[in-house]
Amino acid sequence: MRVDVRDLCARIHRTPILTDVSLCIEAGELFGLVGPNGSGKSTLMRCFAGLRRPSAGRILADGADLARMPGRARARRIALVEQQADTTDRLTVREAVELGRVPYLSPLRGWGAADAAAVADALAAVEMTGFATRHWHTLSGGERQRVHIARALAQSPDLLLLDEPTNHLDIRHQLSLMALVRDLPVTRVVALHDLNQAMICDRIGVLHQGRLVAAAPPDEVLDEGVLARVFGVAGTSHLDHDGSRRLCFSHAL
Amino acid sequence: MTMAVGAATVARARGLWLAPLILGLAILAGTAIGETRLPFATVLRTLANHLWDAGYPVDGIEAGIIWSYRLPRAIVAACCGAGLALTGVVLQALLRNPLADPYLMGLSAGASTGAVLVTVAGVGGGAISMSLGALAGALLAFGCVVALARAVSGGAGGGRATQAAAAIILAGIAGSQMFNALTAFTIARSANAEQARGIMFWLMGNLSGIRWEDVASCTLVSLVGVGLCLWHRRGLDAFSFGADSAASLGINVPALRGTLVTATAIMVGVLVSKVGAIGFVGLVVPHAMRFLVGTRHDRLVPASALAGAVFLVAADVISRVIVPGQVLPIGVVTALVGAPAFALILVRGARR
Ligand SMILES: Nc1ncnc2c1ncn2[C@@H]1O[C@H](COP(=O)(O)OP(=O)(O)O)[C@@H](O)[C@H]1O
Ligand SMILES: [Mg+2]
Repeated sequence: MRVDVRDLCARIHRTPILTDVSLCIEAGELFGLVGPNGSGKSTLMRCFAGLRRPSAGRILADGADLARMPGRARARRIALVEQQADTTDRLTVREAVELGRVPYLSPLRGWGAADAAAVADALAAVEMTGFATRHWHTLSGGERQRVHIARALAQSPDLLLLDEPTNHLDIRHQLSLMALVRDLPVTRVVALHDLNQAMICDRIGVLHQGRLVAAAPPDEVLDEGVLARVFGVAGTSHLDHDGSRRLCFSHAL
Repeated sequence: MTMAVGAATVARARGLWLAPLILGLAILAGTAIGETRLPFATVLRTLANHLWDAGYPVDGIEAGIIWSYRLPRAIVAACCGAGLALTGVVLQALLRNPLADPYLMGLSAGASTGAVLVTVAGVGGGAISMSLGALAGALLAFGCVVALARAVSGGAGGGRATQAAAAIILAGIAGSQMFNALTAFTIARSANAEQARGIMFWLMGNLSGIRWEDVASCTLVSLVGVGLCLWHRRGLDAFSFGADSAASLGINVPALRGTLVTATAIMVGVLVSKVGAIGFVGLVVPHAMRFLVGTRHDRLVPASALAGAVFLVAADVISRVIVPGQVLPIGVVTALVGAPAFALILVRGARR
């Protein structure tokens, strides 16, 4: 899905959180969203997901105004994996993933073969098929995050939004999750706080105090100036022996 | 996979005729057992006489007890049990709080205040019935709780949904306390000792005044309640991971919350106005059913309604026979069973 953001502003209790964000995300792209804590990443993600109404500006999803799209139609095209979403319900993994089919079901239209297939495919895509009958509360953090992604994939979305999906995961799970996200065949917007993880994105957008200060391939964006100005750290960018870029941080400014 | 679906279908098909059967048996038991021992044959004959003019010769007084007192009482008990349990299901799902129940939302407290104001303080000058007073009180208390919750969470639209859910629980506690204080104040001010005893009895739940006139409204609200919850079963499921998650699944969260919580308020208002404030059904039954049938609302809603109905019919029977020659308030029985059950749920919940 091609996402066109035009002069987007968002406020919470009159406090401006996002100011004049304009951005275009191409179909199939892996777009990273970086910025310090409180810079507005989650707020922008919630605007994308239709959970927050912008106070000004528009978001066009393949040319259609998101604000005018009914909730169910939107949920069939856009799926969100929230920063933190937990439950005390005794759900199984399959039941959690089946929630992704809610936008396709109605009180009278029951569960069908297409729904079962979408759930099975989503579980396979995150390699959690063997966990289908496990209970949610028995899963590790990394497994839960995979189930969340499977739930989102079961929505068969054209746009997948992931808000800091690697939070609270150990390094191995972080890397395997990012590898999983990199290979998913949909348009993805991923909010990230680890800048090195953002290096695998096609392009990244840098949010600073609610403003988008850059949107370009990571190599071009993350230089010493941005690290200092936006993130408040002294750091350098190195070319690795395999040709990819690595960031090294030395101290807070 | 197909096996699981098949098994679920079989289970549901079995549930489809098992549920009315269990309910029917419970109501039959509620009709057959009581303070006065009546032969079971008389009970069946009386029912047959009324249902299809069987024309058996039965004692007029006994037939009166069975048909005019016990049967409507058992039916209303079943409706109340189903309605209160459903209220618990809905509030626990929508507010994401395992402690949510009609008590917590101030509904029962408001209903009591309304009823007491009408009966004891004479508000309305006899023009409004106690039922109407209770209904008005329940809705008023509910409105106060919602308004307070909105003020606390700083406008429903802006705040994070989880915060709003926590706020409504706190607001419910505050609202309940205030309305309970109003009830106590009214009783202390205007009631004589005899009246106060009667009111206390009613507040703990009392089905002894139930006649056929009360059956229609109770049956209606509980059937509509079951239907509405089943209609919105997927919306209720979608709240598993919170209101934001439900919204991202395309659920219109304010609309669904508004519809179901208002329906709940009306349902509880009507039921409490007929039988008083019966505790623990709305809290305990949904939790117990989650252990038995899981958290999916296509099963949880009918299971809770059925279990609530059977539980309250049974509690009513117990309240009539446990102390010979005396009828206990039904709320005493539900609390005596419900409080330990609830403790068990808390302990089991903490363990996992
Ligand atoms: N519900 C809210 N009420 C008030 N302020 C909020 C709320 N949600 C977010 N904010 C504020 O908005 C800013 C951006 O938050 P957020 O989008 O969560 O940032 P990020 O995800 O980049 O850490 C922060 O300053 C935060 O304090
Ligand atoms: Mg965030």
